[in-house]
Amino acid sequence: MYELFRTGTLLLAAGGENGGGHGAYHFEPTLVSTSFYFLVALVIVFVVLSLAKKGFKDQVFKNPFTCMLEQLYLFLENLAVGIIGPHGRKYLPFAMTFWLMIFFCNLVALVAPTAPTADLSFNLGMALISIGYVQWEGMKTNGVFGHFKHFAGPKLPFALIPISLMIFVIEIISEAMKNVSLSLRIFGNIDGGHRAAAAMNEIGSKMFPFAGGNATGIPFGYFLLPIKFLTCLVQAMLFSLLFMVYVSLVTSHEHEEEEGHPRHNEHDAEAVLAGSH
Amino acid sequence: MTAIGIGIGILGVSIGLGMVGYAAMSAMARQPEAIGKLQTAMLIALAFIELVFLLTAFVLAPALVAGAK
Repeated sequence: MYELFRTGTLLLAAGGENGGGHGAYHFEPTLVSTSFYFLVALVIVFVVLSLAKKGFKDQVFKNPFTCMLEQLYLFLENLAVGIIGPHGRKYLPFAMTFWLMIFFCNLVALVAPTAPTADLSFNLGMALISIGYVQWEGMKTNGVFGHFKHFAGPKLPFALIPISLMIFVIEIISEAMKNVSLSLRIFGNIDGGHRAAAAMNEIGSKMFPFAGGNATGIPFGYFLLPIKFLTCLVQAMLFSLLFMVYVSLVTSHEHEEEEGHPRHNEHDAEAVLAGSH
Repeated sequence: MTAIGIGIGILGVSIGLGMVGYAAMSAMARQPEAIGKLQTAMLIALAFIELVFLLTAFVLAPALVAGAK
């Protein structure tokens, strides 16, 4: 019974095991563990979305999952239209997929020893896909040569060509750094949360050593759970937002119409028609 | 010496985070109706500054420790 409690506590505090006096270590993510917890997160996403889909047939949403997903969609749509412009809705499914996957993988990281987002490879994969998609969109909008020309900075007179070359090199490096920063942000927050919980658990085991041997004590890592939950939300939102910012940088159209138009629904049209009679 | 250097770096990050929080809170106190937008902007700024700390902790520190050994 104590073993069950101890294992459950250690799993829940996501801090790893006190391995026989060596101190707290935390689990290294392997392919198997990442895939398993990714499948767990995927199953949770599918369950939540299918529960939300049932509420779509109402005119006014009453299903709680549907209401929450509607709030999420409106939040991301506001961001997309505000940052990218009216044509930003095209990129919304991509951003929403990333948001859902990152959020639920982070939630798994709260309660499990490892999670997909605690694995640097998984985060790097997501970052490469999103930055690759940004490059693809840039090439589709400006052409291949035009996309690379926008890395070279402003047009300088012929004598200053070396400066253009330097700007080009620095811009290419900075574009590659976007992958690093996107992936390291999520990895650092989630894996850092695991390490912090492991350290706090070790403090707890030293301060209040119950039951001798591999002492567990009071797992202080629990107290980090609220701030780790905030980190889950913020990191998911941040990935989507940065993706939209990068898209807006490469797909800025010159013939932008005025932004910030709220979508008119049929009631506005009826009011306008009724008022004009 | 490496530890002191890393500590000074983290000190800079903490001061930066505190300044963003201070600016956000004084703006929220002046205009309570803009708290939603200010919260979002504050969290975005916080994540960028946090990134410097994470780069230090996960990229720089292991390289420095491995170089010092």
